[in-house]
Amino acid sequence: MKKVFALLVALAMILTASSFALAEELPTITIMFHGSNVTDDTAVLEAVNDYIADKVGAKLEVVWGTWGDFDEKATNALLSGDSSIDMVFTCSWSSDEYNTYAKNGYFVKLDDLIDEYGADLKAAIPESLMQAATIEGAEGMGIYAVNGFKDTATQNTWDVNVTLLNELGYTLEDFEAMSFYDFGELFAKAKEVKGDAFYPFLVEPMVLERMVTGSIIVAGDSGSTNLLSLYLNQDDVSQEGPYGNVLLNKFATDEYKAFVTKMHEYYEAGYIDPSLAVAETSNDTRTNAQKTGDYLIGTQSYAYGYEYNPEVLDRGIEVAFVPCTDPYVDTTASQGAMMAISTASEHPEESFKFLALLNSDPTLMTLMNYGVEGIHYNLNDEGLVEFTEERANYSPWTNGVGNVTILPDTVDEGAGFREHFKEYYAGAKAIPSLGFVFNNADVANEMAALGTVAAQYALALDAGALDPETALPEFLDALDAAGMQTYLDAANEQLTAYMAAK
Amino acid sequence: MMNTVPGKARAKRRFNPRNFWLTTMVLPGAIWLLLIRYLPMLGVIISFKDYKAQKPNTFWNNLIKSKWVGLDNFKFLKSPATATMIRNTLLYNAVWIVLVLVIAVTLAVMMSELKNRFMAKAYQTMMFFPYFLSWVVASYFVLAFLDPTSGMIPSIQKSLGLKPTQFYMTTGPWPIILTISNLWKNVGYSSVLYLAAITGIDTTLYEAAAVDGATKRQQVWHVTLPGIRPMIVILLIMSVGKIFNADFGLFYNVPQNSGPLYPVTQVIDTYVYNTYANTHNMGMSAAAGLLQSVVGCLCIVLTNMIVKKIDADSSLF
Amino acid sequence: MQKAERRSAGLNTFGPGAQALFHVCLGLFALLCIVPFVFVIIISFTSEDSIRQIGYSFAPLSWSTQAYKYVFQLGGALWRSYFNSFLITAVGTLLSVSICVLYSYPLYRKDYKYRGFFNFLSFFTMIFGGGLVPTFVVCKTLLGLSDNYAALIVPLLFSPFNVIVMRTFFQTTVPRELIEASTIDGAGEYRTLLQVVLPVVKPGIATIALLNALAFWNEWFLSLLYITKNMDVIPLQYLLMRMQRNADFLAKNAGMLGADAAKAARNLPSQSLKMALVVFIVVPIACAYPFFQRYVVAGLTVGSVKG
Repeated sequence: MKKVFALLVALAMILTASSFALAEELPTITIMFHGSNVTDDTAVLEAVNDYIADKVGAKLEVVWGTWGDFDEKATNALLSGDSSIDMVFTCSWSSDEYNTYAKNGYFVKLDDLIDEYGADLKAAIPESLMQAATIEGAEGMGIYAVNGFKDTATQNTWDVNVTLLNELGYTLEDFEAMSFYDFGELFAKAKEVKGDAFYPFLVEPMVLERMVTGSIIVAGDSGSTNLLSLYLNQDDVSQEGPYGNVLLNKFATDEYKAFVTKMHEYYEAGYIDPSLAVAETSNDTRTNAQKTGDYLIGTQSYAYGYEYNPEVLDRGIEVAFVPCTDPYVDTTASQGAMMAISTASEHPEESFKFLALLNSDPTLMTLMNYGVEGIHYNLNDEGLVEFTEERANYSPWTNGVGNVTILPDTVDEGAGFREHFKEYYAGAKAIPSLGFVFNNADVANEMAALGTVAAQYALALDAGALDPETALPEFLDALDAAGMQTYLDAANEQLTAYMAAK
Repeated sequence: MMNTVPGKARAKRRFNPRNFWLTTMVLPGAIWLLLIRYLPMLGVIISFKDYKAQKPNTFWNNLIKSKWVGLDNFKFLKSPATATMIRNTLLYNAVWIVLVLVIAVTLAVMMSELKNRFMAKAYQTMMFFPYFLSWVVASYFVLAFLDPTSGMIPSIQKSLGLKPTQFYMTTGPWPIILTISNLWKNVGYSSVLYLAAITGIDTTLYEAAAVDGATKRQQVWHVTLPGIRPMIVILLIMSVGKIFNADFGLFYNVPQNSGPLYPVTQVIDTYVYNTYANTHNMGMSAAAGLLQSVVGCLCIVLTNMIVKKIDADSSLF
Repeated sequence: MQKAERRSAGLNTFGPGAQALFHVCLGLFALLCIVPFVFVIIISFTSEDSIRQIGYSFAPLSWSTQAYKYVFQLGGALWRSYFNSFLITAVGTLLSVSICVLYSYPLYRKDYKYRGFFNFLSFFTMIFGGGLVPTFVVCKTLLGLSDNYAALIVPLLFSPFNVIVMRTFFQTTVPRELIEASTIDGAGEYRTLLQVVLPVVKPGIATIALLNALAFWNEWFLSLLYITKNMDVIPLQYLLMRMQRNADFLAKNAGMLGADAAKAARNLPSQSLKMALVVFIVVPIACAYPFFQRYVVAGLTVGSVKG
């Protein structure tokens, strides 16, 4: 009897001990980032897990997606209902596109969680960003991802090689007074001075098209080659543009025709490197020419503080970024970096608590983004971040992590940078149709066909490599045959409805 | 006999050691096939569904509960680009099947007949090299020749005072460039397979032919080629089965995915890839994959039937 | 041994004219095949300046070993992934060749009852597939192929194509009498296969082993899919592909990413570094190749030595 009793006691002890251990064991939540360059995260995760154990009640694991593998990894995890991924990066341009995946039920609707645990988050992130994330998802209108606070407005600029400009006898003021259609004389002079193998006009053709014609990207439009365009009011971006709130076939407008005609003239005159007209070679060509400062005028989609980047500082020339328009807040830019919770996750509550903390707590954000003080960075006397060599093994993509405005300033950026940054974007005006996302589900087949046609012509035309006299009519016919009108009508119907509801 | 020991006969029928042991050999592969190839085939129904996350969000649940949409996912075939891409896929593949076969067999026969064995081995080693390099790397090589700014051919044209050809904007030369690239990469590989098959030919056959006074050329014709016929037929049937599938890297990387070249470079695989990149429509990719499988299946069955009519021994099944 | 006679008889060789023609044809083609690799080596030793100025060229303006210095700076990660490549290739090849031989041998045996069934079982998968996502689900959730070496080996273990090639080898090189004789001697099926049949099909096995080894050595997509946290198991090929894909992605999305793309592009490795990695990848397999080749052309070599 005694023996049995002893056995029972022992059993009971084991049971309590094990259930105790179970209670102690925190759940693991996993987050998947985009664009990271991380080879060693041990120190960071150790510190993060110490820090969040009480606040979140979970242990963090990280999948450091890179530029090249994120799309496959994220879509695979989501489409396969993989419960081992709790939080995943999403935005308007990644494969797990925010609006589509929210609509198809892959992301948890966060509204209730925000009400319960999101007070700090709401205080840290501007109301406009919350609005930009509010969309029609699987569970109705609501917020399906925590929107990161970064450069939330779009602004395209001329990237000017001031050193060479001065050498040619012009000042920056002279340049600012010129329009795209007057650049010819600059280019001709540059060719004279620098020789025949020099290409003065270093462009991203698609960006240039938007800069010159004043068209913007419509969220939900065909991916790499947009078909639709909404024309901006270039004097006041918050007002309706020349065509009103109507979507147009981007390639059928007079603006477009004038643009490609001029581009072809520049191209034929040898002002543009032919490699820029081929999708796969254009970026290498551009990066190389930038590195050596071998250009006169380029294009750059700009983010505040870009000129202080080592990438720009190391060019060995004086660079100026001359804006084409004021920064404008559109749907694409304001859905540029978000973090969603997968509906396959077993710990949505802990995951949300973590995201809320990450986006509102400077300590955690700094830890995740810059690493551990004393290992990955040190603070100098002014309290600025100075990175150590260890940073090479731990560099997440800053904007992809979350709210960058709560990070400390770095030595490169200088004191007060974040404050200016916030002011700059707080002052950015929203376009009238902000928030509109084209739901292309009903015209997906047209979009597929149109995308192919556009890919065949658009880049080459934008770069000036094709003669618009012959290629443009051909292109427009091909678009019509592929169902451009159906596509356009569907988009306009939705936009009209959206604007009426707004 | 049968009547006297019926029990024994039945037992024999029940347990045949030969079949048993041979089945144990097949088993590891068969299990692998069932798990990793057959189980996922259930996913084929995605082609007919509007695949979406359901509650709870697990793959099998999503698969079952998603809405049936019939043939909606196949509507991408209505695109005007369809005719072009199907023509390109079929035409390139058909021409290349023949070219690779003829050239690879010829080279394999030549190698097997070289007296200088050292050189034969050296050639063979070198020919296999392209197979090591990915299309991405190979595309740099093509680029080095054709790049409009620094490529070798445009540079030469410039130095001769000619207007350099814009290769990545001009469709004309691409059928030839793609053909050369494909032969370059695949001929060596195939010829190794053929050479290995030639090695397996029973040499007494050559002796017998020589005794009969056959010249070397006749020996090749009457001994070597019939000897490797099974290999030729099988590789042929396999490639016919893949006639609807294009080598993605070749058509995507080598022309640098340049738009103006699409009329001669767009094939089914690159079309689906480019479209997926634009629309992220999983149903459509699944549908395209299924279509390629069905057509490939038909082609194989058809070819096999023809082969069977001509030479029953060489047929695949 | 029987092949000895073949090359001694006068009627059994092509004349010197034909031999010369063969050398010209083979030589030219072989040269064409090797040139790109030489080119890759040259690029890997080309200085960045030269690439920027005149692009890729057989005669660069200046040389540099910078790319290799960078490669060695990858340090631990490089050697670790190099080791992984070897490990995965060795284990994978051994297993897949065994499975392939075991699977194809019964298919060659006309007296095997389920021959047709298993033949079809394998063949059907060459044409029909379930697609990426369903396969991913089965491999990851059902089989636990995630963040381990198995994930990089198991999905490639079996190739229906190789089974067909191997079966053809059996059919063309193993006389059925050989098996009958062995069976009459009372040998079991496994002993017949191992001791009687295998020695005859060595060239076939070498060919299959070569194809398998190449498949494992060049594989990177499995790493992309199945390795998410444990980067200790990734092979060298993936290290290279990751760089390549990063560059491609940034190039394609530059318009969307804006300033971020330019910032990120700065950290990308140079072309010459990528070429140096290609050299690292190709050299071992190129060195191993003659070893396989010795068996592939074993019969012919025997003939030439004796003749």
